[in-house]
Amino acid sequence: MEFLLENILNLVGFLVGLAIGIMSIIGFRNTGSPTLFRLTIAFFSISIGFFVIWAGYMVEDFVIKSGNIERWIQTLGIVIQTVGYFFIAFSHSIKSFFPKSKYFRTVGIFPLFLVSSVQIEHIFRSVSFILLAYGAIETILSYFENKNKGAISVAVGLALLALGEFLGWYSFVFPESILYSVSMIIKIGGLIALFIPVSKIPLTKIKFDDSLE
Amino acid sequence: MVEYRTHMKIIGDILSTTRDELRDEDGATVTYLIRKANISHSRISRILKTLVSQGLLEQVDVQGSNKYRISQSGREFLQAYYTFTTFADNFGLTI
Repeated sequence: MEFLLENILNLVGFLVGLAIGIMSIIGFRNTGSPTLFRLTIAFFSISIGFFVIWAGYMVEDFVIKSGNIERWIQTLGIVIQTVGYFFIAFSHSIKSFFPKSKYFRTVGIFPLFLVSSVQIEHIFRSVSFILLAYGAIETILSYFENKNKGAISVAVGLALLALGEFLGWYSFVFPESILYSVSMIIKIGGLIALFIPVSKIPLTKIKFDDSLE
Repeated sequence: MVEYRTHMKIIGDILSTTRDELRDEDGATVTYLIRKANISHSRISRILKTLVSQGLLEQVDVQGSNKYRISQSGREFLQAYYTFTTFADNFGLTI
């Protein structure tokens, strides 16, 4: 059951990330907007992250057949996804929360070299949770300003991804419980909610203009 | 409350003014655009120069005064601008 859900989640994540990433890059090429460039990086990263984990499961299932996905592949996928979540949050001016001192930034990275890959996975899951929660809050705040209903769906999507990330992380405390499966179902719901408003954007009328590139 | 406008939003405002609000086929004067886009002369001059060089606006000389009208590329850009403004709005962002 977990294997099936994990595959569905990673495939849906790959496809949704890819679709929104392509949409963003079309927008960037047509308008040159830096916001759309950041969204392009964000959603291609998310897509690649899900793809890496899905590929890891496929290799394990059809080639290695060890019964467990290689830990470093799972960690790598989560790290790449976290980069994507960072760029979503960064688009909401999260940069103002980072310490300006070079010393603090160096110290902030240093502990990553002292922990195992499992701990790194936990660290990145919790970072993802914070970034997703921040993105969800900022998106819902923008809804109160613009009253754009699509923002509600995106905020719900980011919030569900955050909740799924939290439950996924928490399931390490209760490894045999249903928490991990629930977290995956919630994340699939989050990805679908994220895609709903984007799917309504009409792309057919957009025409590339080479002179704008 | 004062609304912060991005560079892209100002360009969108200028292009939509030249497309939607002009009855005069000859185009808009700089003074008209300054009033509609609500920015300084020096800033709009730079933006207009860029838009003309990119082919989004056409500069025409009417009885000794420079006027600006939207080109076909400008119309296509504006359409893309509106589409992707909606797209970014969904994420709570401004392009």
